[in-house]
Amino acid sequence: MKKKLSRRNLLTKLGLAAAAAAAAPAAKAAKATVQKVLVTADAPKGYDPKDHKWQMVIDANRCIGCGHCAEACKTENHVPEGHYYRTWIERYIVTKPKPGSAETRGEVLVDSPEGGMRGFGPPPVPKEDIQQSFFVPKLCNLCEHSPCAQVCPVGATFDTPDGAVLVDPKYCIGCGFCIQACPYGCRFMSPVTRTAEKCTLCYHRITRGLRPACVEVCPTQSRIFGDLKHPLPDDPLQNFFKNNRVNTLKPHLGTEPRVAYAGIDKEVR
Amino acid sequence: MDLTNVVLEAAPHFEGYVYPNEATPEPLWSVLIVIYPYITGLVAGAFIMASLVRVFRVKALEPVYRLSLLTALSFMLCATLPLLLHLGHPERSYQIMMTPHLTSPMAIFGFVYAWYLMAVLLLELWFDYRQDFVEWSQTESGFRGVLYRALMLGVTDESDKAVRLDMKLGWIISIVGIPSAFLLHGYVGFIFGSIKANPWWGNVLMPIIFILSAMVSGIAMCVLNYLILTWVRRKTIDMRCLDVMAMFLFYALVIDASIEGLDWIHRIYSAEEDFAVIRQMATEKLFYTLNIGQALCGTLLPLLMLGLIQLLRKRLPEIARKRMYFASALMIVIGVFAMRWNVVIGGQLFSKSLRGFMLYKMEFTGMEGWLVGLAVLSLPFIILVVMIKLFLSEKLPTAGHVPHDSPSV
Amino acid sequence: MRRFNLPPQVVRLVLLTIGIVGSYMVARYFLTPKSFGQYGWYRGDALMERASLPRVYAGMKACDECHSDKLQQLAKFPHKTLSCEVCHGPGGAHAKDPDVKLAVLTYGHCVRCHEANPTRPKWHKQINIREHYSGQKCTECHVPHAPSEVP
Repeated sequence: MKKKLSRRNLLTKLGLAAAAAAAAPAAKAAKATVQKVLVTADAPKGYDPKDHKWQMVIDANRCIGCGHCAEACKTENHVPEGHYYRTWIERYIVTKPKPGSAETRGEVLVDSPEGGMRGFGPPPVPKEDIQQSFFVPKLCNLCEHSPCAQVCPVGATFDTPDGAVLVDPKYCIGCGFCIQACPYGCRFMSPVTRTAEKCTLCYHRITRGLRPACVEVCPTQSRIFGDLKHPLPDDPLQNFFKNNRVNTLKPHLGTEPRVAYAGIDKEVR
Repeated sequence: MDLTNVVLEAAPHFEGYVYPNEATPEPLWSVLIVIYPYITGLVAGAFIMASLVRVFRVKALEPVYRLSLLTALSFMLCATLPLLLHLGHPERSYQIMMTPHLTSPMAIFGFVYAWYLMAVLLLELWFDYRQDFVEWSQTESGFRGVLYRALMLGVTDESDKAVRLDMKLGWIISIVGIPSAFLLHGYVGFIFGSIKANPWWGNVLMPIIFILSAMVSGIAMCVLNYLILTWVRRKTIDMRCLDVMAMFLFYALVIDASIEGLDWIHRIYSAEEDFAVIRQMATEKLFYTLNIGQALCGTLLPLLMLGLIQLLRKRLPEIARKRMYFASALMIVIGVFAMRWNVVIGGQLFSKSLRGFMLYKMEFTGMEGWLVGLAVLSLPFIILVVMIKLFLSEKLPTAGHVPHDSPSV
Repeated sequence: MRRFNLPPQVVRLVLLTIGIVGSYMVARYFLTPKSFGQYGWYRGDALMERASLPRVYAGMKACDECHSDKLQQLAKFPHKTLSCEVCHGPGGAHAKDPDVKLAVLTYGHCVRCHEANPTRPKWHKQINIREHYSGQKCTECHVPHAPSEVP
């Protein structure tokens, strides 16, 4: 314990010195996690990327907005503190139309305090004024035609054969082009590695037969995850497509997201 | 954890709703990325200016031929600097050339840049200057002598035949150079225009608008440089040259303004999903830089002034014309900078959810702050001064061959 | 027969071009990572580098190794869709070394999902914590592993 404390002290001191120089609060908090992000343990044995095709879909009808997924994602992947999220939850509130306005709907209010990772407080409008309200978990849309991978100048972000879209932190030059190209706001520039970062589908977990952290902790099975090349008996992924009419986000852009949604409204972008 | 205790710690950097990853205190692409297309545009424009002499044989512009080529070169040498400074890992930038991802506009830009710098600009300058280098290397000593000798690349042939070949090859390169200049800056436009995720950028007209505004800014920069250079050297201005420059500037500005107008008409008429956001950008968020900076100061006023001179050239005294040229060129140069600002910063002022706006504060210091921006922007001017001292010195006699006559030999 | 001589400036430029292109090819040969292009236009090694990152959440399978009784109990009740780590927190360290204790649970864990919120779907069981019987721990009346039972 003592040893740990002294190391933390040292880190804090280092962090403070760096912060004084850089004066970037996000970078300061991130300094402590810099070792964790690039550290490697053992590689999974016998995993062939060409033998799998992972996919995640969202049943928004089941999301209760607890925020465990966003929190677990931050923890599992050592995502820098602050406005950096690989997955987050949005709360949509459609208010009732004003009496006599001859409209079907009122305003649409959207929020995602801290990416929803601490849950959601009471709604910003009185309960009686709400016509419709629902949560929408967001993550990398795993596009069939990824605009982010398309624009990367060096091939540092790419679609893997097994269906993830990854960033190579050792090869990314940090130009930010992919972040601009992602229509869904799923990427960010990490202050730790100074490279682009995004949802990896928890690649370090799925390659070992574990579920992504967000799926693992989702209490209501709102996030459904599976392998298209190895469907389970009574596969939840197949059932999802059997039982729901699904939608994708911003279909007009032609990115063809593989993350399909059930139970979302036209207001969800 | 008690839900009632959840408080937003940081002050929000946005209004409405923006994706959590977008709520950054600074835009991802900041003032450095504004400067990048600005500088590249000046290169392309100044080169087109020089091509008017060599390819289109506009005799009147001969006095600014070398000046505009040197302007193009000094800006070209700095064109990638803001990009490099802005990278998260500048030390890895060589990868763009080693493993260029062919579907990426940015990767291809590396090759377009290399092609334009080495196969067009440097070659044309070399053919134009080669005979002078040979002469100067004999008369000059010290650093200059060594420099000119090195730049000869060991070719000392001064025969008429060799010089004629220089001119001919220079002419060919100049012809290749015009589409290359369009490619160079059209490509910068494409870097933004290809981002379909961003309705402010993703637009087929973007490369064209970039090319046209590049021509406008490049010619205006040449007008300024010429006026300042003659003023510094206490020389008399070749009014015919200046008038013709201003005429081309006017024409370029007319086309540029109409295409940009067309872009707006199209956006307003088609009024797609993003129109509410775009309208709010134009009328509120970018009011000063777009309406005042780009439209009024950068386009309308110069159009009026330059147009007036086209009509009344004979009746306006020289000094009035000079002042009006200077004023309109300066306004255009500022206006085009405002245009780059509106494109680059404007595209990052609203959320891709189309539900909110980001509120940024420009830093003064720091990598993406004003200070670095100003330094990067002044560097090409410093290089230009050095180049003028070395290659456009009054003390060095030139062979004085006539570039526009070259194809007839 | 007259030998055709290339003009000197052309010779120089051709040599220069060959030099530049040649050094580019050489640089490209040495500076391109070995695994580049293994699966596509990227470093193939990047996949396994990502895959070898350490894990923080252990996953239910790891819990099942020692606590299968709890899992079997849980499976009979509405909480069957919950993974252990939803409430108990990340257990990667605990799974490796059982001496590392998991986080202590508070009533906040229950409220996080069950506090009433108009955005939550109607089928989900919700309480208003201020109106609900307060002042006691949730676990005094409810069993998290068997939520429909009374202790």
